[in-house]
Amino acid sequence: MAFEAEDRASTANKAVPAGMTSADRDQSLVERAQQGDTEAFGELIEQHRNKARGLAERLTGDPHMADDVVQDALIRAFMHMGSLVDTSRFLPWFYRIVRNQANMRLRRGGPHRKEQPFVSILTSSETNSSRVDWEDLDSILYHLARTAADAATREHDPAEHLLRKEMYETIHSLLHCLSRKERDIFKAYFFRQLSPDEIADMYRMTTGSIYTYIHRSRQKLRKEHVRVSLGLLPEKKEGSGLARHKLLEMPAWQADPPIMSTFVSNIGRMLAAISDQWEAAEFMGVSTFAFRMKLSDKTTFADGIYVFDWRAVLQELMKEIGYEISILCGQLADSPVPLLGAVERFPIVLRIEEAVIPFIRKHIDVGKPVLYFDTRVTKPYVHEWSVIYGYDDGARVVHLTDPMLPEGKILSYDDVTDNPVRFLAGFGSKLEQAAGKTARRSRETRAREQALRTIRFAIDYAKNGCDYRPRTSYLNYTSGLAAYDRWIGHLQNPHIAPNRYGMGQLSAVYAEAKRYAALYLRGVLLDGEAMRLALLASEAYEQTADAMDELSRLVPFIRTSEVLSPDMREVCVVHLEKAKMFESAAIGYLEKSIAITAGEEGNGQ
Amino acid sequence: MGEQLTEIRFMTEIPHYLHILMEAKESFEQANPNVKLIIQQAVDDFESAKALESEEPPDIIELGGFPVGNPDGLFIDLTPYVSELKGLEEDWYPGLRQAIGHGGNLPGLPLEIMMPLIMYNKEMFDRAGLTYPTDEWTWDEMMELARKLTIRDAEGRTSQYGFGIGVDIEWWEPFILRNGGRYVSPDGSTARGYVDSPATIEAFRKLIDTYRVHKIIRMPNEPSGLEEGRKHEDAAMNFTFGWHFFHHPDPDHKYAVVGLPKMPGGVETNMLYMAGAGVTKKSANPRLAWEFLSHYILASRSWILPNTRSQALQQGLTNHPVWSRYLQELHHVQLGAFFLSRKWNASRQLVNDDINRMILEGVDVAQTLRSWTRFA
Repeated sequence: MAFEAEDRASTANKAVPAGMTSADRDQSLVERAQQGDTEAFGELIEQHRNKARGLAERLTGDPHMADDVVQDALIRAFMHMGSLVDTSRFLPWFYRIVRNQANMRLRRGGPHRKEQPFVSILTSSETNSSRVDWEDLDSILYHLARTAADAATREHDPAEHLLRKEMYETIHSLLHCLSRKERDIFKAYFFRQLSPDEIADMYRMTTGSIYTYIHRSRQKLRKEHVRVSLGLLPEKKEGSGLARHKLLEMPAWQADPPIMSTFVSNIGRMLAAISDQWEAAEFMGVSTFAFRMKLSDKTTFADGIYVFDWRAVLQELMKEIGYEISILCGQLADSPVPLLGAVERFPIVLRIEEAVIPFIRKHIDVGKPVLYFDTRVTKPYVHEWSVIYGYDDGARVVHLTDPMLPEGKILSYDDVTDNPVRFLAGFGSKLEQAAGKTARRSRETRAREQALRTIRFAIDYAKNGCDYRPRTSYLNYTSGLAAYDRWIGHLQNPHIAPNRYGMGQLSAVYAEAKRYAALYLRGVLLDGEAMRLALLASEAYEQTADAMDELSRLVPFIRTSEVLSPDMREVCVVHLEKAKMFESAAIGYLEKSIAITAGEEGNGQ
Repeated sequence: MGEQLTEIRFMTEIPHYLHILMEAKESFEQANPNVKLIIQQAVDDFESAKALESEEPPDIIELGGFPVGNPDGLFIDLTPYVSELKGLEEDWYPGLRQAIGHGGNLPGLPLEIMMPLIMYNKEMFDRAGLTYPTDEWTWDEMMELARKLTIRDAEGRTSQYGFGIGVDIEWWEPFILRNGGRYVSPDGSTARGYVDSPATIEAFRKLIDTYRVHKIIRMPNEPSGLEEGRKHEDAAMNFTFGWHFFHHPDPDHKYAVVGLPKMPGGVETNMLYMAGAGVTKKSANPRLAWEFLSHYILASRSWILPNTRSQALQQGLTNHPVWSRYLQELHHVQLGAFFLSRKWNASRQLVNDDINRMILEGVDVAQTLRSWTRFA
């Protein structure tokens, strides 16, 4: 029985411009994809994915299994693009792959039932070439499998050494797709350069079965490598989920109104959703966002608020509070992307729904909401962090928070897939407390150490600025106390008009951050003179926040194209100078507090 | 009862030319009392594109990078309007006209047009007893001069460098182009066969050698001690865009400029930096929007550098010791990878990380450039 979609596979698309059939366009895309052009491959998939999914769903009768089938088919299609001789026959060929994958899933025994002999490694096209293709995993593995003496010779070449190092790191990052035993055998063979006979002895297995293990591992890694390069998710270990939709309860976090630093605010909400309630001030302190302030060197645009290393900061924060976190991140290359200072370091990814939606399902299904960077946020915001707390496969929507819509909102799967900034993060399990000395330390000691870390960060950030800087000549930011000077400079520069809208957001976000700095410092666990100085710093931060609040009242956060009058600029400068004076004093108290603490620790030793 | 006002919304992401824009707004509104210009700011292309989807879409959008080929389809083709202005096509600097019309349509008018030259400190040359360079100089001659102009004390502390250039893939491109190399294909579709070509690798290696072999340039991780805006002062020769002379007027002519040195590949060309403004496809009044745009960019006398030869003449730039030299470059500029491949540009910071590794760690140039084929 042939399905309708397959029947139509070679029919020209009526929407294509006159003179060019969809088959012509496909053919051109296929030829580009055969050269390794992932953009062209993405475009092909974009055009045919829905029909392929429909086909897979009808074949399997299960929408989740259909997603897996399409994902597998994408990988196989990309891997074997070079074997498609007649480039005009892409669609029937792709459907055949979908059909095969569906049959494979439905058949007992799974996809690795029939293994090919190990000798296929040695018959790869790379065998006769001494050059390693660093983009091709097979070539890398073959290179690895060469004699240790060969490898040692090459180690003298620093470039070769670096590439080997990067390649080892790449392979290590892929190894999670192997079982424990497969991994051990793989490492013994490829990394430790043991012979199959030696490994067989170690594991009391036959040499033949070691070959089979190595071959199977190589196949799995190759597949995983393609999966990673296409931005797809690791293969699910568990069976297909049954839920077609799920909506999590989102309990209100105690911060009301919500914290304007939406990165922190939404992580706090996610934690609250899994019953880990944090005080807003404490979380603003622990995350260090109470002490950050960054301004664009161009004018009073608000983008400095978002320019930091999203991945590193999130990972560090989660580690600090004891959670594993998994992050999905990337940027689309074919549309305007905001916040280049942060996002330009993300890998280019394809508009493939299978690369995003399963990540959301996976977390929501186990009761964990997902941090999401929303570029379709409600005005006056342009883009903001939010939390996805539900999905519905039937309606093809996700449910998420929005700073301007307390009731939340929905976005279509297409909206999520087409987001030019792909940044999603979900909690893993709670990290176990380290054993031994750390575990014996009291809660108070840990809190005190944590406070000292935050205070040291505050001092360093205020005096030296943020250690993250975009690696480009065109995007420059000023942070810490120097950010006040930059801000004042923008207001006093007769040649530029300060951005009124950005001023509104900067003032509101940083006034609130400084208020939280004051609150946080009031609650830190220090003793004696060190604590007295922390309280003085807290008081100075209160006054900083008062001055910034004045600014925020003068220039509220609203969407407007209004221009700041010269008089207004002057008044704003006065408030900023006052805020800088108080924050400088606060940092001075914190420095003394740290010096006293260090002195006490020195005396105590 | 007066006629109803027609509003033209102008969205810009460039804050430092607002004074020119405001002057143009004022004069245009005076000449067209029924028109009101509304100026709005956007932080980047994303915000501008988003505004186009709003209920009050801008009629004109000004972007920090000229939208070569109209990649997001935001703009209308201005060719018909341009052809109505007699003599304009012939008046345009040819290299510039060719660049903005790449791909067959004209999505906007360019502004903030600039190229790099080598700016040299005449006093430092005089102190060393060296002859000033001329446009005929070669890369090797430049390196030789830079070596003589680098001053180190007995402990190896450097008080003066021979050469200065920022570490940015785009800024290094003119040397690659002049050597006959490229980062991406002319249609921007691939880096394979271009960034890994022998001519590109050769030119790139020469740039890395300035740090590692000739040691005539400050290392990227070496603090300068000079405050922002004065960092050029400790090098005798600097790779310099013309806007430097806006920020650092040089009434005593302490500095002079000379063309980029000739590379072994022998190609006479330069990179082009330009912003751009175009009439959006959502404009309800495209003709009026075009009239303002041409008033702002083609009629204003405030642009350095301007679009056309007649503007340059009227502004007295053709006789100016610095600007006349920059204007010469407009005859043979070409589009760099920034304009041709958004995908390439999207990985710019990762590429710059690699350049730093080549300079600081000695990572192999050819291998690294081969690995960049994955970026486009």
